[in-house]
Amino acid sequence: MSKQNKKKTSFGWLKRLFWGEGKASAQDDVLNVEEIISPGKQIVKNFFERKLAVFALCVVLGMFLFVFIGPLFMPKYYDAYTEVTQKNVPPTLDMMSVPSELKDDIKMIDSYGTFSVGLSNAGKVYVWGASKIGTTGLDVANIPEEVQNAKIAMVAAGIDHIIAIGEDGKVYGWGNARLGQYGGPAAGEENNPNIAYMPEEVMNCKVDVTNIKKLVCGYQVSAILMNDNTLYLWGNKNAYANIDKFIGNNTLTDIEFTLNYVVGVPSGGKSVYTGTRGLFGQIRPNINGEAVDIMTYLNGRSITNIIANNNNICLMLDDNSVCFAGDFKLDSVPMATLAADEYFVQIEAGTDFYTGLTNKGNVYSWGGHLLGQSDVPKKMEGVSQIYAGSFQNYAVDENGKLVDKWGLKGYIFGTDSYGADIFQRIVNGGKMTMTIGAVAVIISAVIGIIVGCLSGYFGGKVDMVLMRVMEGFSAIPFLPFALILSAVMAQMTLSENMRIFIIMCILGVLSWTGLARLVRGQVLAVRESEYVTAAQAMGIKAWKIAFKHILPNVISVILVNLTLSFATCMLTESTLSYLGFGVNYPRPTWGNMLYGANNATIIKNFWWQWLFTSMFLAATTICINIVGDTLRDVMDPKSSVDK
Amino acid sequence: MAKYIAKRLVYMVMMVIVLSFVMYLIYNLIPNNRAYTDARAEIQTLKQGLTEEEKETRFDEIYLEYQRRYGTDTNNMLVRYLRWIGLYPKYDGSFDGLLQGNFGYSYEARDEVINVIKAPMFNTILINIFGTVFALGIAIPLGIVCAVKRGSKTDQVVQVITIVGYSLPVFLFCILFIWVFCSILGIFPPSGMKTPGSDYTGWKYVADTMYYLALPLITMTFCSLGGMTRYTRASMIEALSMDCIKTARAKGLREKVVIYSHAFRNALIPIVTLVVGWFLSIFSGSLIIESLFGLHGMGKLMIQSLRTADFDVVILMQLFYVAISLLGNLIIDIIYGLVDPRIRVSK
Repeated sequence: MSKQNKKKTSFGWLKRLFWGEGKASAQDDVLNVEEIISPGKQIVKNFFERKLAVFALCVVLGMFLFVFIGPLFMPKYYDAYTEVTQKNVPPTLDMMSVPSELKDDIKMIDSYGTFSVGLSNAGKVYVWGASKIGTTGLDVANIPEEVQNAKIAMVAAGIDHIIAIGEDGKVYGWGNARLGQYGGPAAGEENNPNIAYMPEEVMNCKVDVTNIKKLVCGYQVSAILMNDNTLYLWGNKNAYANIDKFIGNNTLTDIEFTLNYVVGVPSGGKSVYTGTRGLFGQIRPNINGEAVDIMTYLNGRSITNIIANNNNICLMLDDNSVCFAGDFKLDSVPMATLAADEYFVQIEAGTDFYTGLTNKGNVYSWGGHLLGQSDVPKKMEGVSQIYAGSFQNYAVDENGKLVDKWGLKGYIFGTDSYGADIFQRIVNGGKMTMTIGAVAVIISAVIGIIVGCLSGYFGGKVDMVLMRVMEGFSAIPFLPFALILSAVMAQMTLSENMRIFIIMCILGVLSWTGLARLVRGQVLAVRESEYVTAAQAMGIKAWKIAFKHILPNVISVILVNLTLSFATCMLTESTLSYLGFGVNYPRPTWGNMLYGANNATIIKNFWWQWLFTSMFLAATTICINIVGDTLRDVMDPKSSVDK
Repeated sequence: MAKYIAKRLVYMVMMVIVLSFVMYLIYNLIPNNRAYTDARAEIQTLKQGLTEEEKETRFDEIYLEYQRRYGTDTNNMLVRYLRWIGLYPKYDGSFDGLLQGNFGYSYEARDEVINVIKAPMFNTILINIFGTVFALGIAIPLGIVCAVKRGSKTDQVVQVITIVGYSLPVFLFCILFIWVFCSILGIFPPSGMKTPGSDYTGWKYVADTMYYLALPLITMTFCSLGGMTRYTRASMIEALSMDCIKTARAKGLREKVVIYSHAFRNALIPIVTLVVGWFLSIFSGSLIIESLFGLHGMGKLMIQSLRTADFDVVILMQLFYVAISLLGNLIIDIIYGLVDPRIRVSK
């Protein structure tokens, strides 16, 4: 290889990959006769000379790898995953970024939904995470002036509000107040039966800070529990069915909120109080253990502490053991078995997991694991306090310095209205969209090629009949007919897989006419050529001539057509799914992920729910079309002349 | 020519019959027994006091009566189809089908289907005539310019834009345009056909309607630009590479004459297909644009009827579309002969 020919273009490696060293790097010799290039090679060469087309090809291939191989490297994914506290989260990766001023001076951290609130030893409040609340336009990161100026003693976060108690005992609240999360009733709302308003004592009189045992917030509700068991409880009654049983109940020594119930421990700690018979009455020693009746299990022991996540509760008993009640997801990670002399001194709960700190300073997390919330870092030393909430964990040493944190950083593309990660749904939805497109194209190709070949080669009556059938199919308006068929299917009882397969068939069966016409035209032209006459003269069977001799000569045209109709099928599937007549939720496709984006409010406020999916869909179809177009151009000898 | 058209028309009618039969079969796949539902509803309204047994016998009578009225008292699909068309007598000997002017009954609107379709049809035609004229008015000149200046910067830019235009689904453009024009810029209203509660007349009414239709029209025009421009460009390039163009240039004709008089006329055939196709689609309406922008047109009616399983409306609309599309094919073939003398319809 001579030196001057080592010049490399940006895509040189790709060129060499596809047809070897080629002319460019061959011996540079004046006497060399110009190499004869076969048409196939010429086409590939011309194709790779077009930078845009090569780029598009790379994008398409990348997209294929991304959706088919990508899921293997990602956390386990469930179609029907929903998380009510993580709905409509905008793209962010800051859900675990503790502000640097707070890092060395942490007094407490709490979170329930998409944002976290922290308090420094100096009494200053910090908020981080996705702090904008839905379509309300509120932002809990806008901490009110009076809170910034006051010295705060305690904070707690709910799904869309924050409650803080000042050193002087004044209770502050900010965020969404529409459902009584804090503050008194709005004018004309005094008698709303669905809201328990903040008690007078909390609003006006100052609470004695030194006597507060616990401040806890749930989904739009908050509670303050005093050392003398006085309970102040307020918020949205609709969110908690049993809240009425707790208001004015001053016998509880501990209180917690799951997603739907308030849970308390009556003094004495011999049972769990929910005000609802049978709820949390079955106890198990570990989350995958056998359930036993609570009386039998306690057997004289008493409950000292209660910790609740969204679906279940964890009880700490006076003999330092831990047990659980409630429902657990099937794939939950069980609690680690501790050494004989090791026991939990502190347990904190997130949305679906628990994190515990033992007397030896070890930290364990168990429960849900899909978002990394229970991946405890290996090396942590000097942990004296842990904070957990939502999907984040923070380990803090005795000086209030952050040792480590683990859990959910955020969502790169945000979440949808069910609380599922859009990025994961894009990857898995792409697989479905592309599979449907590919299968539909294959079906249409098989029908189109067979019909086209037969019709073109045999002509006469066969041609007449097939052409009439073809016209019939092409007279059917595509989208309305596909809609009708899937609406008809929706009325029948079919499994989802069957439905999807039928959708593929519908797309395929309705879109073969263009290809058949093309193949017919090509075959008609080729039929008269000499080699076909020769083949006929040799007595080769007609169908063999049609499919073995003629078809290979028109295959390039077919390929181009297939590329373009692959994009079209993807688009049609998306359109059907977008209209709600294709693949249904929870199974994701790029079309039905956009289903929610059909009114101006969502389009504006939750832009991430459609923008990213659209970008993936658009990039794929545009690039496929560019590749197809370029292929057609380079295959057409006429058009490449004056390029 | 007349013979050819007559032949095509006969063939067209046969096609409509076959397709309508297929559609009727598909439509009957739905487990939806109207006679049964109606009979059940009637038995509910009957006076109390009947025993269960009496109710059952009474129900059977009413059910049979409804089946006879709807012509579904047989399992023979062909008979049922012919009754629906109006070529086979019902139980009482009367003919009452499509041919007699009975187009079905919309259970959602509680009205004859033909009345349900009237208003949306008018709206759709109004919107689509504007949309098609705009789209053709922009796409054809643009395509010609691109073909003439092939390979230039303008051409390349237009090529990229149009490939984006036809690679994206229509609903994406709707979302994008609503986002840009309604949410960010706030120029146009996101949906509806007139100011809610308004009762304008005369010019004010026209202005108000145009204000509400502006965004759907822009979207519609933009969506159709991609495919049409590329199509025009391709056929124009084909025409420009013909020998007669070289001859015309060699003769010393002005470039304008070469392009508009010689090349464009040769490029007309594919374009005519396009134009006729687009004008025919003004009846069907854009399903997506209409339902997203809340326009009360055929597309929206179709989706609504599908959602509420109001299949009498759907099947009639579908039949209408099929007829229109077959008619379109015929018109295209005839126009081919008119624009291009070389194409003679086969005798």
